[in-house]
Amino acid sequence: MDNRLFINLKPGPTFLDRLTGKTKVRLFFVLILLLIATWDIRLIAPLFVLSIIGLVSIRPNPKKMTVTLVIILIMNLFNLLLMFLVEPDYGRGVVGGSNVIFRFTDFYIVTKETMWYFLVRLMKFMATFIFSLTFIQCITPSEMAAGLYSVKVPYKVCTIVSLAFRYIPDITRDFNNIRISMQARGLELDAKRVGIGTRLKQYVLILAPLVISSFDRVGMIANAMDLRGFGKLKKRTYYAEHEDVKGDRILAPIILLLLALFLVIVVCLIFFPPAFQVWCPWIK
Amino acid sequence: MMAEPIITFTDFSFRYKSQTEDTLRHIDLTIYKGEKVLILGPSGSGKSTLGNCINGLIPFSYEGEIKGSCIVAGLETRKASLFKLSSHVGTVQQDSDAQFIGLSVGEDIAFSLENNAVPRPEMLELVDRAAEIVDMSDHLAHVPYDLSGGQKQKVALGGVLHNDVQILLFDEPLAALDPTMGMTAVDLIDRIHREQDKTVIIIEHRLEDVLYRHVDRIILIDEGRIALDTTPDELLRSDVLKEMGIREPLYISALKNAGVDLSGVSSLEDVEHMDIEPLRDRIVSHFYENEPDLEKHVASGEVLVEVKDVSFDYGSSYHLNDMNFTIRKGEKISIIGKNGAGKSTMAKLLCGIIRPKKGEITFRGQNCIEMSIKEIGNHIGYVMQNPNQMIAKNIIRDEVELAMKLNGRSKEETDKNVEEALRMCDLYSMRNWPVSVLSYGQKKRVTIASILCLKPDILIVDEPTAGQDYRHYTEIMGFLEELNRDYGITILFITHDMHLAIEYTDRSIVFSEGNILADDYVFRVLSDSDIIKRANLKQTSLVTLADKTGLDPEKFIQAFIQEERRSRANG
Repeated sequence: MDNRLFINLKPGPTFLDRLTGKTKVRLFFVLILLLIATWDIRLIAPLFVLSIIGLVSIRPNPKKMTVTLVIILIMNLFNLLLMFLVEPDYGRGVVGGSNVIFRFTDFYIVTKETMWYFLVRLMKFMATFIFSLTFIQCITPSEMAAGLYSVKVPYKVCTIVSLAFRYIPDITRDFNNIRISMQARGLELDAKRVGIGTRLKQYVLILAPLVISSFDRVGMIANAMDLRGFGKLKKRTYYAEHEDVKGDRILAPIILLLLALFLVIVVCLIFFPPAFQVWCPWIK
Repeated sequence: MMAEPIITFTDFSFRYKSQTEDTLRHIDLTIYKGEKVLILGPSGSGKSTLGNCINGLIPFSYEGEIKGSCIVAGLETRKASLFKLSSHVGTVQQDSDAQFIGLSVGEDIAFSLENNAVPRPEMLELVDRAAEIVDMSDHLAHVPYDLSGGQKQKVALGGVLHNDVQILLFDEPLAALDPTMGMTAVDLIDRIHREQDKTVIIIEHRLEDVLYRHVDRIILIDEGRIALDTTPDELLRSDVLKEMGIREPLYISALKNAGVDLSGVSSLEDVEHMDIEPLRDRIVSHFYENEPDLEKHVASGEVLVEVKDVSFDYGSSYHLNDMNFTIRKGEKISIIGKNGAGKSTMAKLLCGIIRPKKGEITFRGQNCIEMSIKEIGNHIGYVMQNPNQMIAKNIIRDEVELAMKLNGRSKEETDKNVEEALRMCDLYSMRNWPVSVLSYGQKKRVTIASILCLKPDILIVDEPTAGQDYRHYTEIMGFLEELNRDYGITILFITHDMHLAIEYTDRSIVFSEGNILADDYVFRVLSDSDIIKRANLKQTSLVTLADKTGLDPEKFIQAFIQEERRSRANG
């Protein structure tokens, strides 16, 4: 089924796959927090390398992965290009200098600092993205629910997450059935025959029955959950949350260290704000 | 012996908050520990409401007014809570797909344990034990999308077996299953009842399928009251079933047609073990009085569709191999086979939604590959199983004219055809009603009308009777029969309901694993135990009865069909 493309329902065999949901979620959160907090390449570059190692380690489908990564890279580069077009001397404000390397016109100049900023930004964004991709690829929805629960997210919210994943393929199937019956009645969805405007309008015809049949389903799901005691206690345990493996025990102190590092960074940023947002080796 | 009551209703009435009349009225009922009880009744009789009163959905999820008392496992339900009750009553609902909450078999079985915060090591043990009981131990890691309906139901049952659940409640457990899966489910319920020492309550209207295994008692509900509380044998002897609009087991109908005196017959509920000796003469002589004319009715109408050497596959799964058959004008054909045999794939091929990988389908001699889905749709209409998945508009008339608008027909033609379709489906007086107020059966008629307005030559109807009781079933099938008789519309039923095939079609095409196993008269197909076995279908009880009596099953079924149709035609 195509819609299972990025959802992993069975844990894989690699080191990251075998961790508990708790460790996966905590590790992911702390790494993302670090990436959000810092603009320092001395931290971003190692994280970037780490993200690539992580992604490769779960042995993803190389073709799909390359396509996704290339698309994201292009989007990021496009974003940088737009930034450049609006403000070529961006580096002056955030890095603190303007050493011109090349001059197209008086306005469009290429400076060392802007390029430095773009490099840091690209690495930071790509690392964030690759961490997310790795996380999604190596965690099952149930582990995610268990993991979120372990960081004190209320379990009703966690369950919504895993339920959503559970029923997406069912809804896709309903959608296809409805589309088929509409097509047989003369609904034209062929891009060659009708324009995009008409097609969008026609998709509304499919959505109406989809929403109604989904509501029916929601009622049944709610009953099934009530009847098996969902919401009875304040706490909950998880079948999918297995006992700690070696990896979990190794990573637990590392996660704590990273969290401490994050707190230090935040404290420093608050009490000793740097003159410029982005650290740069040649700007003092 | 069965002294200890486990469920006691005393002068119990219930009214839903949104309704003005009581759905259950003055129910007095006691169910004893260890009993296996079938609660039988037509749709809307209140039988599911009764079930919901036992498991606590009433009054805790569906609000309403309760009068009288209902005590379940020592608890007065309205003073207890849903959670308290759920630790005594395990419920398996009808939609095996929607109630599968976990993302794997193990997780779904564990769901109630998770909610009770059972520590994981203990949970694993309990899950293993439950999975073993329902025979799913080898599938613990399977995801729901890879399971059949029957397997999902087993999981649902496994999920409520934990702890000290004493009562197992099955709410229409057979609704979504094909006949073989249904048999397996009934068998499993029976085994668990015997081995696990539970009280079992089954709510169903498919009597014959449930009676595949013994039940202690049948409680018949009608219009919110207990109409009958008796043993299966007594119930089968009486004429109550037909009056209530519940389908009698076919062999019972056949016995009654023969005018057999059932009062002295023991084990009437079990056609296999019933004592046939005293009845044989009566059955045989009745058969010879009504011996079917062997002159076979051969379909001779114009050839509409020819399927020639058609093969299809979706990459790996669901393949069809070299299929060949012909559909003639005015025929009533049933395509039968278990779930996944390729029936729906064939329907999609006929409608042009998917195209053959090999071979060709022609309509009136023209190769369908040259026609668009829309063009084919003007000749071959497709009615889906679930009307809620078809209806896109709020008002009946808008829904019926949708296909005309999508096909860009003129206003005059639209108005004319829509009016005709509405009248054919007996919906004309309701044409301005909103769809939401209609019953399931009426919605089904709306979907049929919305296809009929295009004046198709062929109507493909997918599981026309799924999830409906016998009364609605008869209504819809009678209506389709009229369309066939009065308007000459060819009808193709896709179904796994053997009764439907027997009662309403002349010809059956049997699908199995993407091949056609048989394409012949219904009575011949259904009396061929080899085909039935290979297609994984359920042998009809008529064949068993014929075998026991020593009559030729094929002719026996044919005679039965003729007699039933004659009596239906006479009202």
